[in-house]
Amino acid sequence: MKTTIFLLFMTLGVLIQSCDLTEDPYGFYSEDNFYKTPEDAEASLMFAYNALTFIEYARGIFYIGELASETCNVKADEGYGSQQLNNWTADANNETLTYFFKYCYIAINRSNAVIDNVVNSDFENVVKNRLLGEAYFLRAYNYYNLVKTFGLVPVQKSMVKSISQTSPNMATSLDELYDFIIEDLKQAESLLEIRQRVGRADKVAAQALLAKVYLTIASSKESGVAKYTEMAADVNQLYDEAAGWSAKVLNDQSNYAFDENLLHIYDIDAPNGPEHIFIMSGDRTGLNEGNYSKIGMMFHPWVDGNPYYLKNPDGTFIYATHGWEVFQTTSEFYNTFAENDKRRTDLLVTSVYNAGGTEVGSVGGKIKAPFTRKYVDPEFVGQKSSTKPYLIRFSEVALIYAEAAGPTGDAYLWVNKIRARAGLGDLQPGLAAGAFRDAVIQERAWELAFEGQRLYDLRRKAMVVEKDPKAIVAGITEAQAAFYPIPQMEIDLNVNVNSGN
Amino acid sequence: MAILAIVFNLAVLSSFGQSPQISGTVVNGQAEAIPGVTILEKGTMNGTITDASGVYQMELTTNDPVLIFSFVGYKTTEVPVQGKSRVNVTLEEDVRGLEEVVVIGYGSVRKSDLTGSVSSVKVESLKSTPANSIDRLLQGRSAGLQVINSSQDPGAGSTVRIRGGSSLRGSNSPLLVVDGFPFGEAGNLKQINPADIVSVEILKDASASAIYGSRGANGVIMITTNRAKEGVTTVSVRQQTTLSRFSSELALWNDPVLMAQLNNEDRVNANLPPLYIGATNSNGIYYPSVAELQNGEWPHFTRWDKIVFRDVPVSNNTTVSVNSASQRTSFNLSLNYFDDKGVYIEDDYQKGIIKLAVDHRVFDNLTLRTSNLFSKNYRNNNGGLAYYRNPIWPVYNEDGSYFLVGQNDYSHPLALTNHKTNESNGVDYISSWMLDFQIADYLNLKSQVNYKYGSSVTDQYNPKIYTESGDFNNGAAHLSNWMGQSLVAETYLTFDKTFAKIHKVNLMAGHSYEYSMSRSSSLSSYDFVNEATGNENMGSGNPEKNVHSNSLSKTKLLSFLGRLNYSLDDTYLLTATMRADGSSKFGANNKWAYFPSGAISWKAQNAGFVKSLNFFDELKFRVSYGISGNQGISPYQTLSRYGVEKYYDEGAWHTAIGPGYIVDYEGDSDRFRVWGGIPNVDLKWETTAQADFGVDLAFMDRRLRLVFDYYIKNTSDLLRERILSLSSGYNRMWVNDGEVENKGFEISLDADVVRKKDFNLTTSFIFSRNRNKVVSLGDAVTSGLNTDFITGMKYEFWGTSLSTFRQNPNILAIGQPVNVIYGYKVDGIIQSEDEGLAEGLTGALAQPGEFKYQDLSGDGLFNDKDRTIIGNPNPDFTASFSLSAEYKNFDLEIFLNGVFGNDILYQNMWGGQAFNMPLRWTQDNKTNDYPALRQDRTYYLSDWYVKDGSFVRLQNVTLGYNYRPKNRQWLSNVRIYVDGSNLYTFTGFKGYDPETGTDGIYWGGYPRLQKWTFGLDITF
Repeated sequence: MKTTIFLLFMTLGVLIQSCDLTEDPYGFYSEDNFYKTPEDAEASLMFAYNALTFIEYARGIFYIGELASETCNVKADEGYGSQQLNNWTADANNETLTYFFKYCYIAINRSNAVIDNVVNSDFENVVKNRLLGEAYFLRAYNYYNLVKTFGLVPVQKSMVKSISQTSPNMATSLDELYDFIIEDLKQAESLLEIRQRVGRADKVAAQALLAKVYLTIASSKESGVAKYTEMAADVNQLYDEAAGWSAKVLNDQSNYAFDENLLHIYDIDAPNGPEHIFIMSGDRTGLNEGNYSKIGMMFHPWVDGNPYYLKNPDGTFIYATHGWEVFQTTSEFYNTFAENDKRRTDLLVTSVYNAGGTEVGSVGGKIKAPFTRKYVDPEFVGQKSSTKPYLIRFSEVALIYAEAAGPTGDAYLWVNKIRARAGLGDLQPGLAAGAFRDAVIQERAWELAFEGQRLYDLRRKAMVVEKDPKAIVAGITEAQAAFYPIPQMEIDLNVNVNSGN
Repeated sequence: MAILAIVFNLAVLSSFGQSPQISGTVVNGQAEAIPGVTILEKGTMNGTITDASGVYQMELTTNDPVLIFSFVGYKTTEVPVQGKSRVNVTLEEDVRGLEEVVVIGYGSVRKSDLTGSVSSVKVESLKSTPANSIDRLLQGRSAGLQVINSSQDPGAGSTVRIRGGSSLRGSNSPLLVVDGFPFGEAGNLKQINPADIVSVEILKDASASAIYGSRGANGVIMITTNRAKEGVTTVSVRQQTTLSRFSSELALWNDPVLMAQLNNEDRVNANLPPLYIGATNSNGIYYPSVAELQNGEWPHFTRWDKIVFRDVPVSNNTTVSVNSASQRTSFNLSLNYFDDKGVYIEDDYQKGIIKLAVDHRVFDNLTLRTSNLFSKNYRNNNGGLAYYRNPIWPVYNEDGSYFLVGQNDYSHPLALTNHKTNESNGVDYISSWMLDFQIADYLNLKSQVNYKYGSSVTDQYNPKIYTESGDFNNGAAHLSNWMGQSLVAETYLTFDKTFAKIHKVNLMAGHSYEYSMSRSSSLSSYDFVNEATGNENMGSGNPEKNVHSNSLSKTKLLSFLGRLNYSLDDTYLLTATMRADGSSKFGANNKWAYFPSGAISWKAQNAGFVKSLNFFDELKFRVSYGISGNQGISPYQTLSRYGVEKYYDEGAWHTAIGPGYIVDYEGDSDRFRVWGGIPNVDLKWETTAQADFGVDLAFMDRRLRLVFDYYIKNTSDLLRERILSLSSGYNRMWVNDGEVENKGFEISLDADVVRKKDFNLTTSFIFSRNRNKVVSLGDAVTSGLNTDFITGMKYEFWGTSLSTFRQNPNILAIGQPVNVIYGYKVDGIIQSEDEGLAEGLTGALAQPGEFKYQDLSGDGLFNDKDRTIIGNPNPDFTASFSLSAEYKNFDLEIFLNGVFGNDILYQNMWGGQAFNMPLRWTQDNKTNDYPALRQDRTYYLSDWYVKDGSFVRLQNVTLGYNYRPKNRQWLSNVRIYVDGSNLYTFTGFKGYDPETGTDGIYWGGYPRLQKWTFGLDITF
């Protein structure tokens, strides 16, 4: 009896003891339980797009693209390194640049995750191609953002899975980087179909971006921008490539088109309008900033701290949120617009009204400077709006074509279309290539004002110092203005990156 | 004749019907009767105890009965009855304390044979003070044990540390073992009624704690609860009623005129329009002018403290327990009801416990012990009400609605009390089953299975108008659930034999398996049309705003353990332990961990030459060294982990999943996200290596006892987050890299000053000193360390961020203790602008009446390079003193506890406080102590806010009277007593109370509560 009980206990003991100590993830996704189906991959692709919506990235587009140019100044007490960007004193510790750099790589890692997992999968070709195509596009888009902001950057070609992969090497030349970008875009272009979908990329987006990339290299090399001058390809060939790809967008499809109604482009309820080849996604019903947007509040003035109304050209009013007036249009830039340019009269606001139609604020009084109404969302809820930054527009592709093609008949046609929509007369005919291209750049400044483009246009024409008075005050050279320094945090933490680069 | 026959028959009958009786008297060496001695019939559960005159009487149930007499402080004596009807016994005092047994991990050992550093806490005297858990009562009761009771909320727990904190990311709390069940972290053992606890042992050094392996690094607290006592049938009732009151005055504005004047001055100096001007401000609130307040035109003066606090909170603690024994079985049933009323109105805690312990002797050498406990608790959280609300506001408007200050007034105490819900209900169930098999008299097998289950439900509702989240969301309802359970199965074999009379060997080998799991879910619903149902109908909120989340974690621990205790001639002792732990939490490359320890001890009092000195009753030297671990890691931390976000696609929100998940937030208002998710298969536990040197001394017939310990504790492989490069796509990952050292010494001195028949007096003194130092924080760059400009010291910010100063006050700095305070230095108040400018200050900071911040870096500017270490919240040493006296039937205990040399960050010292705002700098009062009033001032964290928090507290005074009726009929013992807690605190600190958390930050709150307990213990 005693021995029986004894043995019973021992067996019980032994049975409980045999156990497996490996952990299975519970309640979260990891490589063990994910990427099993096309739906998984789709969710992962959306995770990659999602990286663009974080404020470090979305606001960064404006802080970097607009403040560091002559279009606007920044509110005196705005932090996040914005003062430095505005004054051309940004160094390797600049907060906005550091976070923008970080999020480009987050987007790249997320894109790599899709590519690495889908490439060898057995999904249906139609689905697989689209997933890969969009991921290649995203990866290229982000490397393009990195190269035009920072120049040479570390290159990460596959998803990071262990600590040994966390110190990627720097690209050795701009050719290496741009070849990688162009290769990705060409793959994307061939894998994708034409499909307009808010917040997503398609074949046309890939073509448009290819055109823009070629144009960037072409004009940078032609203008003598540092490091671009060492690139292999010939300037004219590059211009031809740019013209070729943009022509495909202009002529070979009918989903995207020129929107005759200037204000309609920026209608919050029409993010799927004909102009929007690639637009960021978001909605005011989101939970965190990034899911919804506060970009409008960065441009709108405070007035009395309450929302107000803007007057439409047809006399009706549109409700708008008040804001912090972070970006303050310079009077110099405002005055470069012709007085009858609708992009000034209709898109740059000088007075705001109350519900009764009485003016409650104007420039010189409660409003510091004319502000853009491109980001108005009349149905905002508190600070949440559905504003979606415009990343690639049809009109921009038209101007890319014009600039790339030079002063041809077609090119003039497109430029004049844009001018006509703005209520301006035709561009002076018979200009030489150089003068024509300069005129297109100026047209871009007016057409794409406050869409985060100006700095890069200035850089690729090597006219930062020429155009931005703040750069002169800061005493920098054009070569110094061409690229921002690699963030100090990257230099400190990545053994393969030295400040010498 | 017939009558005689009947009487004779009756006599014969009665003698046949009865079992043999035995009786007698028990006395001590001085022929004094000893009441309460336990007499047990050997081999059974049958027994009794002596009465007030030392007399006992009981039945005998076995053939050849043997009686065992035992009592604390005396040697246990066995006497065979051998047919006698009367057995008188003289018990010999256990002068050498040889009998005292101490519970250690997986076994027990005689105190005199201890080779490690273990303190025993005498718990009987603690029970006069009611508490929700024993942790609170251990404050100051053991050398090396630091207990911080910073919260006085009903049901609140404590912070417990043994020999300093050594982990940064993991837990610093010691392991609690309850009756052999590794229960969890010390701090709030609410499931166990303190009245049911018979002993508490603190295992401090590696030799004692390494047997608990990867959970022993922070020390172990062994709790033993009362088992079913053999041989005794008793019923006891313990009733405690406690009244609380503040031990010091609340800081309130009693003079509204002065308050208004100062507030106006504050705003005017900041170029803001003053409030108290007799006009309606921009929010629509009418503020009376100073004149109106002065001449009585303003009719309202509200004493918010009288509304918000109970007049005299009365708490109750009742325990009823029944212990009964028969020949083979004994049981102990204990019921407890604890009703704790907090000092805020409707801030309550109630708990009920029912516990049944049964011991059954299956065979003579096989005992089955089981204990089952069920506990239910309820907490209504209504704390933190604003007793400091502006006294000029009335409670209600004329129409009876609550008077609110503007649209965003979320702190009306009565509105919150009546409309906001915050309550939680919890349930605990603990069951343990133990088999004790004495296979042979030298071989024992114990097998124990323990099961613990706990769950809680929290209901919250934040109403519209009166709360911020309710106002913003049109009503916010929350419901959260938590459930956790764990199962521990342990079996160990103990071999105990003495060879050739001098070689005593005790060998233990065993193994343990633990499985634990916890899961939680939470629901939030917003936007309610009608608030009447609160959070009872979450479905009636707006479905588009619903938020739900859940989690689950499971861990397993498999261990093998062993210990050898060897003693040579009762003079040289050796202990060696080893434990191997395999944990599911450790990374794939480091699943198994090994924790050895060794100790040697020399009982010098048994050595010839020492004996001949005839001075030492005990002189024991101890040396130990060992390695224990701190699991520290959360489950699943070593695996790769994807994140979940939302993306708006085709007009709807979709779930997006991919590599990288949010691990933290940083930046201004936590607006930036920090990403993690890379796996680390090498991640492992934190290792603590500890060496201990100790001496145990006793003199004068053991009337004077001294224990001294010196220790060095080095914790390495600290869990830290390593910062990754930006181009990796992630920000942080967990690695083991970092080192903290703790060293110090402990002294504990006990003296039996007077030991007479009617009067005895004992005193005890405890002193502990611990020095903590951060040795390494990993590589400066990958750990993101800052460099101090002046000294080059490497550091990182740590702990809580204070919005007033826009920085974290605490840092971890290489070469410094954990949590030192880092900030600027202030040298009085600026008296003239020249003085300010000369110091390198500019603009508003250089004005007279401002703090004179010092330019420590000497570069002529005041900037963030001028910071240095300005305080250390770790105490220099702690000490406590207790005095116990017994005179006839009275007993008295006085207990003082002190903490010395700790700095406190009195962060809210300046800012609308009634006691110092009038003392501000003005042109007429050019003080050097306080700055001028200026509401828009930017404050910097400086040593002006750092104060000395040393204190000595008269923590406990207990006066009791014992009544023991002469003839032990139905009433065995009655004790009535009065216990006063937190009677007075001697300190220079001007805030309410200097007992802050380990980071030294003072949060205000309310004064320490003085508690008066009236208690009655009746034993039948």
